[in-house]
Amino acid sequence: MIVFLVVFLFFILLGFLGSRWRKGNLSKLFEWSQTGGVLGPYLVWFLIGADLFTAYTFLALPSLEYASGSLAFYAVPYASMGFLMGILTMPRLWRIARKRGYVTAADFVQDRYNSKSLSVIIALTGIVATLPYIALQVLGMQVVLETMLLGVANVGILTEISLIAAFLILLAFVFISGMRGITLTAVLKDFIVLSSVAIIIIVVLVSYGGFHSAFSALAAQKGKAISGYTALPKTLIPAFLSMFIGSSFALYLYPHAINGALSAKSGKTLRKSMSLLPIYGIGLALLTLFGILIFAVPNALAIVKSTANGLLTMPAIALETLPQSIVGFVFVGIFIGGLVPAAIMAIASANLLTKNVVMPFKKIKPYSQTKLAKWLTVVIIFIALGFVFVVSPTYAIQLQLLGGIIITQTLPAVFLGLYSRKLDWKALIAGWIVGIATGVWLVLLANHFKTLATSIYPTPLGPLFIGIIALTLNLVVVVVGSWIIDVLGARRNGIINDAEFAIKEEVILKQANATKGK
Amino acid sequence: MKTNNIVAAILLVIPLVIYCDVWFFDSVGPSLGGLPFYYWFQILMLAVSGVMFYLAAYFIDKK
Repeated sequence: MIVFLVVFLFFILLGFLGSRWRKGNLSKLFEWSQTGGVLGPYLVWFLIGADLFTAYTFLALPSLEYASGSLAFYAVPYASMGFLMGILTMPRLWRIARKRGYVTAADFVQDRYNSKSLSVIIALTGIVATLPYIALQVLGMQVVLETMLLGVANVGILTEISLIAAFLILLAFVFISGMRGITLTAVLKDFIVLSSVAIIIIVVLVSYGGFHSAFSALAAQKGKAISGYTALPKTLIPAFLSMFIGSSFALYLYPHAINGALSAKSGKTLRKSMSLLPIYGIGLALLTLFGILIFAVPNALAIVKSTANGLLTMPAIALETLPQSIVGFVFVGIFIGGLVPAAIMAIASANLLTKNVVMPFKKIKPYSQTKLAKWLTVVIIFIALGFVFVVSPTYAIQLQLLGGIIITQTLPAVFLGLYSRKLDWKALIAGWIVGIATGVWLVLLANHFKTLATSIYPTPLGPLFIGIIALTLNLVVVVVGSWIIDVLGARRNGIINDAEFAIKEEVILKQANATKGK
Repeated sequence: MKTNNIVAAILLVIPLVIYCDVWFFDSVGPSLGGLPFYYWFQILMLAVSGVMFYLAAYFIDKK
């Protein structure tokens, strides 16, 4: 408890100090929400790592491995392939964004296709997909607090008060130091989380008999069903493939991922740090294995079984295997691991709302833009808190599942737009409608119109991730539609020239620096 | 310039091809410290991806 508080105080201090670090004019939106693009490869590595591998991920993946076995490991190729997609798209987006002063993907879409309606759609899709994600961070932090306060009276109220307090503090420094403060705290968070994983793995391997005893305990409990844990059942291979490919597509379509990428100093920086991010994924993979290792720690298993909450897998193992002071250290890591990405997600959504939903209809002066984005960040965080406290957290989980499918439907406009100018905004909107409609409909069908628990649909080709099925239809509509519009000679050209993608980075940076002083 | 990009493309594609060949690594043995091949091979591939991507980034940015 004391360790938890001490580290948390340090976290707050770093957050506020961020405003002084590599000083910039924080009343500008780009400076406040994307550090003015000063981050080098290592800071980008920490920032994006903290941004994408969130508290909820740390809790959900072990839970999935615990409950459904080897399929959960789709997260491992995802942690590699997501960054392949990043390397292919983000440096290109970075270049055009810095050249033309964009801070969101929807900014790019608007100019690329010369369409405000498409840009509004892309922005709203991003926001809708991100909101439940923020709510899940709150849920993850709640789980940690409840485990820590296990046995204390009035746990529920105490947890809610602490959570609200934590978010108020977070908002205070986000207001003052913006993305700079978040970047510094991200380094702290990554350090704590990665070292926690290492400590727990070593302890369980050395003192609890490691995987040998985990798998034999698992065999004793599951009987024949153990084959679903030792390797992937062949029938699930299509599901595994489509899950990791679909999630890799989705990763860099999420606004918070793009926001992190656009904070980089250069495209080169971005490529370098993204190429090393699969290494961060090793931590994620080891965490997923906690879903198996828990069978080697009977006391931890008892906690998960008695509460019937798989999300407790990782905290329960920490609680049962580590000395108390280190438990506090691990828990504060997960706790901050929720706060940091929640803040980036809220900032990215606020940017989208400000620049792509409000501004097309109402002109706002640059300084007022930042002010509006700051207040919208506050509103978004409170919506997420309200969601978990007032509405049920299970809705957040269901909406997050839908979010992964709908965000994938923005791929044609954003990613293909980076490489081709032949697409038309009308075809892209039609494809988006088809993609979203099929996606939502198939999810409802796959879950028999009850609680949404799966995003996999049984097709003649085998079980497939719905996001991929919907994206395929979406792409067909976009390509065929654009071709027809092109043949009719009705295509509206965007205002970005293809030659702009080929401009040398040094030239863009020089130009950007020249306008910075103004 | 051209050859560098081709080398980079190959380096980027190798991890993808290996991860897509699920049938290859979907087996229990040989296990490592009690951990089935399916798991440890995929983790090892993360490190390999990191190295390959890093080299690819190097070739793309080499003038």
